[in-house]
Amino acid sequence: MKSVSELTDFYYTELYDSLAELEARRKQVLKRILVLFGIIAAVLMFVLRYAGGGQSTGNLAMWVGIGAVTIGGFGYHYLIRGYRSGFKEKIIRPLIGAIDKELAYAPEAVVPQTLFEFSGLFDRRIDRYSGNDYVQGSIDGVPIRFSDVKAQHRSRDSKGKEQWSTVFQGLFIVADFNKHFKGRTLVLPDLAEKLFGSFIGGMLQSKNFSKDQLVRMDDPAFEKAFVVYGTDQIEARYILTHTMMQRLLKLKAETNSKVYTSFYGEKIMIAIEYNRDLFEPAVFRSLLSIDQAMAYIGTLRSSIGIVEELKLNEKLWSKA
Amino acid sequence: MTALIVIAVLILAVVLMYNSLIAKKNQVDNIFAGVDAVLKKRYNLIPNLVSSVQQYMQHEKSILEKVTELRAEAMKPGISDEQKIALDREITSALGNIMVAVENYPELKANENIMHLQRTLTEIEAQIAAARRAYNQAVTDYNNAIEMIPTNILANMMHYTRKQVFEIPEAERKNVNVKELFKQS
Repeated sequence: MKSVSELTDFYYTELYDSLAELEARRKQVLKRILVLFGIIAAVLMFVLRYAGGGQSTGNLAMWVGIGAVTIGGFGYHYLIRGYRSGFKEKIIRPLIGAIDKELAYAPEAVVPQTLFEFSGLFDRRIDRYSGNDYVQGSIDGVPIRFSDVKAQHRSRDSKGKEQWSTVFQGLFIVADFNKHFKGRTLVLPDLAEKLFGSFIGGMLQSKNFSKDQLVRMDDPAFEKAFVVYGTDQIEARYILTHTMMQRLLKLKAETNSKVYTSFYGEKIMIAIEYNRDLFEPAVFRSLLSIDQAMAYIGTLRSSIGIVEELKLNEKLWSKA
Repeated sequence: MTALIVIAVLILAVVLMYNSLIAKKNQVDNIFAGVDAVLKKRYNLIPNLVSSVQQYMQHEKSILEKVTELRAEAMKPGISDEQKIALDREITSALGNIMVAVENYPELKANENIMHLQRTLTEIEAQIAAARRAYNQAVTDYNNAIEMIPTNILANMMHYTRKQVFEIPEAERKNVNVKELFKQS
């Protein structure tokens, strides 16, 4: 598998022509977007100035505002549509191919919701599930797939008004695990311990009835960053060896995000919370900027690199 | 009235403490059953291992005999958990010695049966390591409870005593250092 610097080279040499073409297109799209926003702003001011007066102004302003945001949003998506798909086909697809030829890419597909729910990582009911940028294939003989995922939960407030909240947004990665196990082990970011300190936090964790048993690990740094729940105390430790704990800590540090990991059904499922849609083309910044390039390359490389990073390719001889 | 409430709260506290002590003790026993199961898996491997290597290993007869003896002792019914923990330590080191000795016999190293046994043993060792860590955590929780205020008072009355933990070999705690591995070979 290619390293990040090799991929950066690839981005700026092999993809340069496509980048230059897309960059020209981006400037065009940006101009149109600014024109659209300008028109909306002008209309907004006009309406508020001349249609105002009287008691209904507040109400009217709200509706006009909602209308403006909706039209602006749809308009924005309409305008970047061609640019966006061009970017995915000409930049993201070749980049994935450069990392490994065996990988297949589907810009509009997503990891199935059933698999996301199967992981057991998130307790709240999921009412809306979407995502894109699905990648599937095998690295060193280990089947892996991942995509951008956004899972939302619907609730009603005291007035019966519908509200949507995000359960998870980020990258969801599923790969075969290299050890046999029967139960389920969850490694979650440690919120209780962070908020309340180890004593009260520890008590809160063990009193968590909705989850499986609390498994306390013998690595202080790991225990501080994560909390482990499992159906079997021994199995959880069979999966989370000292080296595995170190690797998960490293993954958390490298992605600088919340990392949720589930070991269930002979699989490892990792959810990395980025809270934004990944692999989308830059509109307000140049595609040629190094920051932008590193964001695409870094995220792709680290998600595909999970197999190497967690040594999932070191198969047990009995699990051929 | 106040006195009644105080008494009720006290009784409740005692019941809760009592239950938590029982739960901790049972957790230790439960996990020890798991430890025992994987240890048995390893005992079952020993006769096969010994019979496969003994015709080659003339110089290491004493280790082979020792490991067989240790196994027989560990398989005896009615030995205490403490004895099992002590025997486990000896068996681990004896098996380690045999595996190191295998390296000196090229024909053994290439033997498919031995290779299979070695891999099975490595896998079982990983399971034993996990079981030991789980047991140690359960014992630590238990030991903490019987020594800390206020549960220690009740634990004393129940005649609970400290339990022994497995000593985890230093090699298992360290992360694998690839450089060192290359140096050895």
